[in-house]
Amino acid sequence: MADRNQIEALIARVALGDRSAFGALYDATSAKLFGVLLRVLNNRDAAEDALQEVFEKIWRNAARYQVNGLSPMTWLITIARNHAIDRLRRQRATEPLDTAPEQADAAPGPEAQVIAKSEMGRLSACFDELEADHADAVRRAYLGGETYAELAARFAVPLNTMRTRLRRSLMKLKECLTR
Amino acid sequence: MTGRDDIPPPDGGDDALAAEYALGLLDAEGARAFEARLAREPDLRAAYARWAEHFAGLTDGIAPVTPPARLRRRVLGIAPRRPVWRRGWAWAAGAVAAALLVWINAGAPFLPDAEPEFVAEIAAEDRALVLAAAYDADTSQLVVDRQSGQAVSGRVLELWLIAGDAAPVSLGVLPDDPRAEIAVPQALRDLLAAGAILAVSDEPPGGSPTGQPTGAVLAVGQITAS
Repeated sequence: MADRNQIEALIARVALGDRSAFGALYDATSAKLFGVLLRVLNNRDAAEDALQEVFEKIWRNAARYQVNGLSPMTWLITIARNHAIDRLRRQRATEPLDTAPEQADAAPGPEAQVIAKSEMGRLSACFDELEADHADAVRRAYLGGETYAELAARFAVPLNTMRTRLRRSLMKLKECLTR
Repeated sequence: MTGRDDIPPPDGGDDALAAEYALGLLDAEGARAFEARLAREPDLRAAYARWAEHFAGLTDGIAPVTPPARLRRRVLGIAPRRPVWRRGWAWAAGAVAAALLVWINAGAPFLPDAEPEFVAEIAAEDRALVLAAAYDADTSQLVVDRQSGQAVSGRVLELWLIAGDAAPVSLGVLPDDPRAEIAVPQALRDLLAAGAILAVSDEPPGGSPTGQPTGAVLAVGQITAS
């Protein structure tokens, strides 16, 4: 994969309407974004449609990159992840609850174990400091798009309790990550 | 998905709120309110950015999967051949008209003695950065007046001229001073005309090392005859 500066330069050129830069950005980042979309959507056709929509967003919004201070891969991953979550939620809203398929399990899967060994060891180590249920809840929210109501139902606690506990865990996570 | 309290939640305050937003845990109303604050509050933007970086790390273990080749053709087909800002012409023209009104009302303090032949308002979409430009072809002087916004610390603003479908050409790094007078080189004088685009990008000190914009394009405006 291209390094951070290369991706940043490509985004800058895309912002100026440079189609060849758009192609190069696609080549450098589409596999990662497609992996993320497949993981969240757990459906190949949906992930393919979503990838096209994500790159439409990137094309339209490239000039706004850096307004929010994200690194280039985080910006791209966030666009893809948010788009996939929106899609997932629309899909859930139109399906009767009792027939809705269980979405990709956001519990620590093989990749979570890989994270533990990767350079993101710090994030993983900090997740390990959280109560297992809370670390699981954060992953389910980020990669599964689960809402407080869904998490509360899953962990069988009142919604406000879920929120209070999760917020405490997030502060604990922050404290660990900035340690 | 309601159940949010009107009173601020007890733990974590804005930082926890930024994390909830990054996770997509706020309801629609809460998310809109947060976004409205993001636009105004740099500290909140920084808090959100930190969380977004952390959570994006959750995708580190997700293996890349090469999408099918036909998808590449579909995706590249969405990029129109005309540069993206052309779609904003009507908007740009309106902005220039508005900028002209401001200059007239303000007694046009910075305009050269002679009427400029070409003007442009170079503005960010959210108007965090706004520059007014006026070009006098008789003297080949381009005067740029930065009216709001500035380079972030340790970075500079670089001005670009884009004529037609040509690649951007640098007009130089803008000084810290809000007002810049740029002597336009001979080769670029004919390009600086109605319809061309002026753009400002974020660059390392000394300007783009590559001769092309390397940082974000922060502001764009179309040149019109005055």
